[in-house]
Amino acid sequence: MTWRRERWSADHSLPIGVTTRAAVGDHVRAGDVIAGGATLAGALRVPGARHLGLAPTDFDRELRVRVGSDVVAGALLARVGRRFPRSVTAPIDGRLLHVTVDGDLYIAPIVDRWTVRATLDGVVARSDDAIVEVEGEAWCLQGAAAFGPDAIGELMLGVNGPDADLAATRIDVRLGGRIIVGGAQISAEVITRAHACGVAGLVAGGVPPAGLRVVYGDTVTAAGSPSRDDRPTVLCLMGFGSAALPPAVFEPLAALGGARAAIHTASARLFVFSSADIGRAETTSPHVVLTREGPAAYAPARPQVDVDEGGGEHEEPAPSDEELSPTAGDPSSRGVGP
Amino acid sequence: MTVSTGPSAPVEQPRIALGRSLRVALLHGREETSRRLVAHLGLASGVEIVARVRATDRRSFVEVAQALREAKPDVVVLQGGPKDEAALAELLEALRLGCGAQRPMPRVFGLVDTPMAAVLRPHASPFEFERFAAAPEIVAILRDLRRAGNSDIELRDALIEGAARALATTNATTALAVDVTERSTSLVFARPDGQIQTAHLVPLGLGMGADHVVVRASLDNVRRWLPWPIDAPALLERVFNRTRQSEVPATTEAAVLLEMALAREAIAHALRDAADAGLDVAAMRSAPSILITGRAASFPKAGQSLLVLVDGLEPSAVSTVFREPDEGRAERIGMVVSVVTRKPAKIQVVQASGRSEARVVPGSFELVTIGADVEVAVDGAGVRGHGRSGELGVLIDARGRPLVLSERDGERIPAVAQWHAALRATAEDRSST
Repeated sequence: MTWRRERWSADHSLPIGVTTRAAVGDHVRAGDVIAGGATLAGALRVPGARHLGLAPTDFDRELRVRVGSDVVAGALLARVGRRFPRSVTAPIDGRLLHVTVDGDLYIAPIVDRWTVRATLDGVVARSDDAIVEVEGEAWCLQGAAAFGPDAIGELMLGVNGPDADLAATRIDVRLGGRIIVGGAQISAEVITRAHACGVAGLVAGGVPPAGLRVVYGDTVTAAGSPSRDDRPTVLCLMGFGSAALPPAVFEPLAALGGARAAIHTASARLFVFSSADIGRAETTSPHVVLTREGPAAYAPARPQVDVDEGGGEHEEPAPSDEELSPTAGDPSSRGVGP
Repeated sequence: MTVSTGPSAPVEQPRIALGRSLRVALLHGREETSRRLVAHLGLASGVEIVARVRATDRRSFVEVAQALREAKPDVVVLQGGPKDEAALAELLEALRLGCGAQRPMPRVFGLVDTPMAAVLRPHASPFEFERFAAAPEIVAILRDLRRAGNSDIELRDALIEGAARALATTNATTALAVDVTERSTSLVFARPDGQIQTAHLVPLGLGMGADHVVVRASLDNVRRWLPWPIDAPALLERVFNRTRQSEVPATTEAAVLLEMALAREAIAHALRDAADAGLDVAAMRSAPSILITGRAASFPKAGQSLLVLVDGLEPSAVSTVFREPDEGRAERIGMVVSVVTRKPAKIQVVQASGRSEARVVPGSFELVTIGADVEVAVDGAGVRGHGRSGELGVLIDARGRPLVLSERDGERIPAVAQWHAALRATAEDRSST
């Protein structure tokens, strides 16, 4: 687990029903709306080409409404003929969602609206109906797993030390909109209270999986569960259970307090947008050890490993049955690195 | 003996791996045979099934499209009969809506007849649509995709299949190979003529796939196999942290017993999926030769592997059990005699040195030490068969089928501890844990 200031990219998956989205090359800031759309209910299939007596390949030419547009009941969708015209009209208010190969139309009622916000300051590198990808420079900390929707807010320490647990009593509505760093562990009670108080997200060394099941359901796995619904956002940095944060991780978190930050749950990354110098361009954390298959615990296996200016590589001890040893060069399988 | 006098050359060993994780969505017709066919196809090819949609799926068009988008399939396998043509065409439209912007685009493999393929192909546009005449062709191409063009990789599932075939051919009986690794669980049933039935489940294992075992089996079903009380949060923490540990064998007894518990449930769920796909699970359970491999074969004691097998698989006849760790040779570890009886019975055990009688009480679970690796025949109490005793001897399992464990800790834990003790699967000195 390392702090790195580099150029990163973050994918933002979009649900079906996109109305607007940022264009490639647009400059965005974390928290900006980069896409918006409609939540759609069960779609109706409306005969199109067959009804008009057209070949499916000719139907697009007669379509009067662009696919993806909102329509009202009775709106003219397609029409042919002059003296004996035939037309297709929208049977309901909704969104013209899809045209089939046969020339039929799907129209779905709109039941809600959604937006997707950027989790990086940077430039839109890809934008289509499925994904908006943003590339930008930021301090980044790769976590073990993340749960809930993306979160954006001001970074704030919620504990006095790296081995302290975040107490529920420290959470109140004044912390609304912030990303709170919770030390070694955060409980289900803290997660639910923080969500109720409007806290944007929580970051901690470990989270008890039983607590995660309480909040996110029994199907939650160690790989995390990114989602878009209204749920708490939790970034688990080191493992599950209780895991005191190493100084090389905690001290920069303290130094970056007050800066804008974002949790990108799909890649389990914490981005912090600050030009502050928090030490080195690459700050390696000490060894992390899981003791007796129990909760993750910080154990400094090597003294003075958080500074590596010589460029030489440290030889990591061979991992044993009970060790968890993230390294500086740990290529994450999730998310897209620079 | 042949001695080569030529110059020595380095021999490149093929790398054994699970290959890349391939995400596959299954779209099938309304008939049960269609569902089973694609389920079997998915199990045989060792891919990760990310979505299953029946032609008569009750979800709306938008919901199906959204589910397919979130599944992010690399491949979509499609199967159905003539009655399903319209419904499958609609599912392909949902796929177009959901995954039209996905990069790389999913490929569509249709296991349909030629006229139906001609109808469905336009609905799959712009995805690549390939028609296959038989399921094995799709299995072969899915495995090629898992190799990701690397011909040096030998897929682990192919290796296990080879081992099962070899065991069946050598013993001239049906054989079952059970493989449990970090991320996968496999069952391969082979007949002497070389025919096999396979189920490779990914992700479901003892390391990276451990949390999936808990999600599928429930935490209580994993916990029930532990011979000591443990609260659910502590166990869940251990399981979740396993997914982040490197691939090294467990060394502490607590870790081994947890792996054993996970392995039992992984095997049981592999069997359940195999049955769901229409594989002959009864034949698997009654195979006279059973090979256990992978992490489940790498436990420190042979009794631990044997216990995992009998609890997870629940054999129903007389079986000789072998185990082959990844870094070791195959060894014959014991013979399992499964007895289902409602009243005390006797079993005759015949070997070259003579015959003896074993008394079987319903619910008993005993290891009869009979001498190292001798030919044994058993007869009585509704069971007859022969095999070799192996390193441990003959295990007479009269716990009944299906195996039922009490929900009460006070009743279950002593029973489970007794089963462990019967196979010497726990350390004599428990203080070491």
